Amino acid sequence: MIWALLCAHAVACIAIVALGDRAGRGVFGVAAVPAAITTVWAATLLGGDEAPTAQRQWVEGLDLSFTFAVGPLGALMTVIVSGIGFCVFVYSAGYFSAGTPGIARFGATLLAFSTAMVGLVWADSIWTLFIFWELTSITSFLLVGHKSTSAANRAAARRALLITVSGGLALLAGFVLVADSAGTARLSEMGAVDGTTATVAAVLVMCAAATKSAQVPFHVWLPGAMAAPTPVSAYLHSATMVKAGVLLVALASPVFADVSAWTPLGVAFGGVSVMWGAIGALRQHDAKLILAWGTISQLGLIITLLSVGSGKATFAAISIVTAHAIFKAALFMVVGEIDIRTGTRDIRELSGLHRTMPLTFAVAAVSAASMAGVPPLLGFPAKEAAVEAVLGLSGAEQWSVGVIVIAGSVLTVAYTTRFLLGVFATNGEATEVAAQRTAMTAPLAVLGALSLVGFIFLDQVTKIVKPAATQVNKKSDVYKLIQWPGLTDAFMISAGIVAVGLVVGVVVARRSGSTPRPLGARAVDSLIDAVLIGATRLTGRVQHGSLPVYVATMAATAALAATPFLWAIDTDALYKWDSPAQAVLAGLAVATAITAARVGSRLGAAVGLGGVGLAVSGLFVAHGAPDLALTQLLVETVVVVGFVIGLGHLARQFPPVGDLWRTVRIVVSAMAGIAVAVALAASASNPTGQPPLEAIAQEGVEDGGGNNLVNVILTDIRALDTLGEVVVLLVVAVGILALVRPQKADSAAPALDAEVTL
Amino acid sequence: MSVALLFAVSGLTSVGIYLITARSLSRIVLGFSLLGHAAVLALLAAGGPAGDAPLADHASIESSANPLPQALSLTAIVISFGLTLFLLALARRQHVLTGDDLVEDDIEDQRIAHLEEVELGSEHDLSDKELDGEDADS
Repeated sequence: MIWALLCAHAVACIAIVALGDRAGRGVFGVAAVPAAITTVWAATLLGGDEAPTAQRQWVEGLDLSFTFAVGPLGALMTVIVSGIGFCVFVYSAGYFSAGTPGIARFGATLLAFSTAMVGLVWADSIWTLFIFWELTSITSFLLVGHKSTSAANRAAARRALLITVSGGLALLAGFVLVADSAGTARLSEMGAVDGTTATVAAVLVMCAAATKSAQVPFHVWLPGAMAAPTPVSAYLHSATMVKAGVLLVALASPVFADVSAWTPLGVAFGGVSVMWGAIGALRQHDAKLILAWGTISQLGLIITLLSVGSGKATFAAISIVTAHAIFKAALFMVVGEIDIRTGTRDIRELSGLHRTMPLTFAVAAVSAASMAGVPPLLGFPAKEAAVEAVLGLSGAEQWSVGVIVIAGSVLTVAYTTRFLLGVFATNGEATEVAAQRTAMTAPLAVLGALSLVGFIFLDQVTKIVKPAATQVNKKSDVYKLIQWPGLTDAFMISAGIVAVGLVVGVVVARRSGSTPRPLGARAVDSLIDAVLIGATRLTGRVQHGSLPVYVATMAATAALAATPFLWAIDTDALYKWDSPAQAVLAGLAVATAITAARVGSRLGAAVGLGGVGLAVSGLFVAHGAPDLALTQLLVETVVVVGFVIGLGHLARQFPPVGDLWRTVRIVVSAMAGIAVAVALAASASNPTGQPPLEAIAQEGVEDGGGNNLVNVILTDIRALDTLGEVVVLLVVAVGILALVRPQKADSAAPALDAEVTL
Repeated sequence: MSVALLFAVSGLTSVGIYLITARSLSRIVLGFSLLGHAAVLALLAAGGPAGDAPLADHASIESSANPLPQALSLTAIVISFGLTLFLLALARRQHVLTGDDLVEDDIEDQRIAHLEEVELGSEHDLSDKELDGEDADS
């Protein structure tokens, strides 16, 4: 079933691409089908004991396979991912106008994200998890940059991509360490690990989760990601993708339970994010950005609770995950509808919407109240559980987590109040509102109602949440969500939170410039810019365009690479000379070559080259290679003649050269020469066998019918090579002819240039 | 292996590399030619010690030099001959077009080196008006 569902997603994706833009809003209908099927399938798993698995070998012998296991937590996340996905697809059909260009691309990418996300929540092997993790980053990048004509959108997309994929790299490193110390890549088989390696892995995994879940200081990509169309914000950046980090913390916390750094690190990330996100939400004027910053804050709360690791805290965290997905998706959809129907999201411009958009207002009020933790809504018991969890802790932990939860909740109530007042209250003249679109209203009404329905059937919700929390932490088994706790301490604290938050919210509702300014995206962007500029500068420095310097660099590198050969030389394999004549001729060849290089006139250089050729021919004779000597003599004669003819028109003297560059060249060429000698000597010191002289002689005389073995090799044994050699010479001849033909070619060349400049 | 031959290979390689790092195309041609010599001598040296010419009717197979590297070297000589002549033709062509035979810096590479200034400009334009939600007050 798992494979079938993944395939259904993929097929729908391809179908959307094939249909193209002419299908219009129909693409969302296609996309909704696999989401709906997946939701129904996962819903049947909720609360049950059944945990379907699927596996496919990828690389044998590397323990690399695609492994899925849908446990209670996976089933809950699937219902959230696919269920909200279904709502978002329906909503998108209303959000976009029929003729919007790029609508198919958008639908396909959104569904591709949905596929990646279900793959992520189903993954059992950490490698499978990593692959889908990265896929969500990539699809998120494409969706944020959907309106790619705007430079700001492109910058936001790039920022989101770079931050989340650097988190992905950290995750990969962490997973490698975990797999190494745990001895398995399966999450379901993984026991707790400890030690230094595990600590490093825990830090890496927590950082990866923080980038994905937009925790301070990695949060800067999330507000920028609001450049995406609102269905994307509702889906990826509130309900699902940002929860991937939370899911990772949940899945990893049993593994890192014994690592002492895990809890403080998570509480630090989460605690700072709770405050910073809420402060950010209090100072925004764009309703969508208020929600985005609120998401940072809420995710911080969840990560704090998950890292604490007590049974009650884990239970509270999973409850908040569920409640948050429902109310935050609904709120984003509300903002999207307001944006479409009024043309603005700025709370300073919106006015009187509670009267003109009553249904939307009702949904917003219910969802916002759920976010603030007000009964009788799903957010209330979840927040109660969090407060109870704090009361259950002790010592410094209770103090720190308590401050985070309580102060965070107060601020949450405050920005929720500000959001509701800002968007819906009457503030001067009422904003004009366009006609309602059923496709948009229906899903947000459903999600809004869910917050209420969830509270009414709270026992059912407990039955779903409890196994999921128990999968993360065995001690969560004993807790349940309570509709009406009575006048307990926790309830009194909750009431206090709401009261204080309301006051703060009403006070700051209209004045927001006074709140502190969070560190921002600009710092990240200048970092990215600095890297890009540095790269360009380095490229400019390294790739300077001077051919001689390139050649010298390569020669020096090759020479240095030959250093290890020094230790492979056996001096016994070397002897002075084969004959004294060889030594004399070798000296002569090198001396003539040096002279040819130093001489200032071109003619002198050509003569020098001829001299070297003669000396080399002599060396051939001394070595016992008369054929080579003859060929060399002929070749050398033609080359010298060619040199004189070819360059006869040039100035007689070579242009002068700078001293420094000359010294560098001498050093590099000396290094290269020594390196070649060293490599050759090393090869002579390590012979791999005797030359097959007998065999060649026998074959040459008997089969080839010739006594000159060199000739027989060329014409019989390597006849095809020799044919190739002749072809090369032919090609060279044709090429030379084309190059040196004077008149025609020269008159054609300027004409060609003229065409190019046109 | 004969040190004298090694010396010849090493010296010719050095001078060859020295010449091909020059700016003048005719010197580069010279350098290639010398590198060709060095390569052929290296092949011979690697093939074994000197000996009689490998003629089956004039010398015993034990006392003759290894014929295989000689056959390979013949091919190498001919190919480097072709290469040298082709380079000479290129140098001549360069002379006809520009009046000298100097190797100029690559234009495309220089364009990349100048990208820096261009990019600096455009990036600054961009960061001034982005939607990060933090410019709300300004």
